[in-house]
Amino acid sequence: MRRWASWLALLLGGCASQTVQFHRLPPETPAADNAADIAKEETLMAAAATVAKMASREPTAGAESAKPELPPRVMPADAPPLTTYDPWGRLNRFTYRFNARFDEAVFVPVADGYRHLPSPARTGVHNFFGNLAEIDSIINYTLQGRLGRGVRSLGRFAVNSTLGIGGLFDVAVKWQLVRAPTGFGTTLAKWGMHPGPFLVIPLYGPSTLRGGIGLAADYGTSYLINVADLYRGAQSWALGTVNAVDQRANIDFRYYSTGSPFEYETIRFLFVRKQLIEDAGLHKAAVPAKSNPNIPAGE
Amino acid sequence: MSPRFLFPSIACLICASALADDLKIPPPAAPGPATGLADSAALRATVFGTPAKDIAPLPDKVPLLEMDLKLPWARPVPAVFWFDRRLRVWFSAKDKPAPLAIVISGTGSDGNTAKLSTLRAVLYGAGYHVLTMPSPTHPGFIVSASSTGVAGDLLQDGRDLYAAMGEIVAHLPRKVRITDVDVLGYSLGGANAAIVKSIDASEHKLHIHRALMINPPVSLFATVGRLDKLYAITLGNGDAGIEQFYQQLYAALANLYRESDRVEIDEDFLLGAAASVLKTDAQFSAAIALTFRLALSNVFFAGDLYSGAGVVIDPQHPPKVGDSLEEAARVLRSKTFAEYFTRIFAPYYLAHRPNSTVESLIAQNRLDVIGDPLRDDPDYYAQTNSDDLILDSAELAWLKKTLGSRIVVYDHGGHLGNLGDRQQVADMLEMLAGRWRGGAP
Repeated sequence: MRRWASWLALLLGGCASQTVQFHRLPPETPAADNAADIAKEETLMAAAATVAKMASREPTAGAESAKPELPPRVMPADAPPLTTYDPWGRLNRFTYRFNARFDEAVFVPVADGYRHLPSPARTGVHNFFGNLAEIDSIINYTLQGRLGRGVRSLGRFAVNSTLGIGGLFDVAVKWQLVRAPTGFGTTLAKWGMHPGPFLVIPLYGPSTLRGGIGLAADYGTSYLINVADLYRGAQSWALGTVNAVDQRANIDFRYYSTGSPFEYETIRFLFVRKQLIEDAGLHKAAVPAKSNPNIPAGE
Repeated sequence: MSPRFLFPSIACLICASALADDLKIPPPAAPGPATGLADSAALRATVFGTPAKDIAPLPDKVPLLEMDLKLPWARPVPAVFWFDRRLRVWFSAKDKPAPLAIVISGTGSDGNTAKLSTLRAVLYGAGYHVLTMPSPTHPGFIVSASSTGVAGDLLQDGRDLYAAMGEIVAHLPRKVRITDVDVLGYSLGGANAAIVKSIDASEHKLHIHRALMINPPVSLFATVGRLDKLYAITLGNGDAGIEQFYQQLYAALANLYRESDRVEIDEDFLLGAAASVLKTDAQFSAAIALTFRLALSNVFFAGDLYSGAGVVIDPQHPPKVGDSLEEAARVLRSKTFAEYFTRIFAPYYLAHRPNSTVESLIAQNRLDVIGDPLRDDPDYYAQTNSDDLILDSAELAWLKKTLGSRIVVYDHGGHLGNLGDRQQVADMLEMLAGRWRGGAP
């Protein structure tokens, strides 16, 4: 035990004191990245053309009748204050620092190594965990009363577990069944629970009290359902580790790449606003553009 | 997040918000400058950067090595900057002998920004080993490599950069074979690059061949004065302006999100939203001014800590790990570049540089401290835009007169809004290869 503790202390304390440390990163793929950016630009331009066409039409009687369905707009005065409620600030800062050091010493090197694996292997792993997470999404969409989305998650799970060979391939996305995960944190939000104070969760990162409860419940749900006996016993540790590495490898974030002493304040500010905007979206969902009677079908 | 594909999305998102505004089409953006400092096109180009479709051809794969260095002369690391204890740079090696391009980042930025990533790709594709470095105004550099802790002095930052480059080059992987060394940078990094070459001309440690400045400032203090003015016009003084701007952005984002069909706010949503919520010249100006102001907050904080000036940090009780820095961040938001100069920079350098005056400090922070080599040495080059908001017409004229045929001035692009486009990259590569013969902008 003591040996483990000293290894951990050595790792987190920055064990290397040599002049230079090298970290071989996965190669960049500029040509492919730029091609993807061009495709995004073209999508946005096409959407712009469509919206411009719609906007150029004269409002009709249908528009008037549709108006009451639109939610009241968020006004600037509705914005939360610039300051953020953080009664556990000291503990949070400590955890943030722990996470940063753990990330630097363990997560990032392992994730970088993982990113050297062939892309199809990584995609398979990512799809596999994404498919398992669909179970939690089905339950939570149902609890949220968003049955359409629940059915979509169910469809994805059914298709990908069978045709996608245990979830290794995302076949469903080819049928326009796009992945849209949810969890118990969002369910609590839908039920009206306030996010509560900002909370930095060890190894996980920025969240809120509600997010923390949601995360615990999601793990509990997986443990109770225990699909294919993956969530109990020794294999659950291996599975959890691979899942964590896969998730980390898919997040383009480095602690303190800003170099700023105010990074914690910045992350807290952005995270909580993001959460509040998502909450506003949950409670007052607008009529989706495609079902707006003012917009002709097929546009 | 690369902002380069934001540019075309603006049309889409202005239209999207028009839909939200009960299907009314917004009036076209005012054609003239709102702030008197830059016109609409320049502001938009500055914020959105080069559209992806205009980016120069890029290679399929670029290897990347992160190097974290502990410099022998590094000062003790303050507790609150524990994470900046090593200088972090990025290196891409060719597997055969090749020239080395050292690229310096812009104000307050690290050595791996999206702009640097684009430059790295085109330079690597053109046959260079590429080393990308943070700006000497990035907190990571200030803590791990600065000899003063008070950033923003062209000559001192140049000396610190030069020393750091020497140490980095000495520790590159052994198999790397370098045939020539060029240095370049964008924005403040451009001025830094030219200063570094001038230092090398007397010290001969790196044997730098060519230096290229991309959208450089001419007078640091005139430029930051312009940025202070931009901030004052668009956001005012104190917290009221910033709070109002934040509230506008928040409401616009929230409305867009509610009208979207998304489950969470992701990168794609933010890309579009950023283009939508900034509509007027004043808002674009505010975004630019705020970006520079946030970079200044870091420089100000570090300078205050290292110099012991006591503006936001009690020199007797510096903050410890875990202490809240919220109040310091709030106070620093309203601090201008001018205040940084009068309260941190000038007191420090007046005390440490014998016979200096406020006027001499300002004069030393103009590119004309290296006016002679810029004029006479054929290995200095520059690229800029006629509508770059960090230059005024007199400064642009000075650059043209000093560099003659070794500067290219494009008509449009604002500040760095054309970095990476085909023409800029083609000209850059010609300049670095010594093949530049001047050309029509």
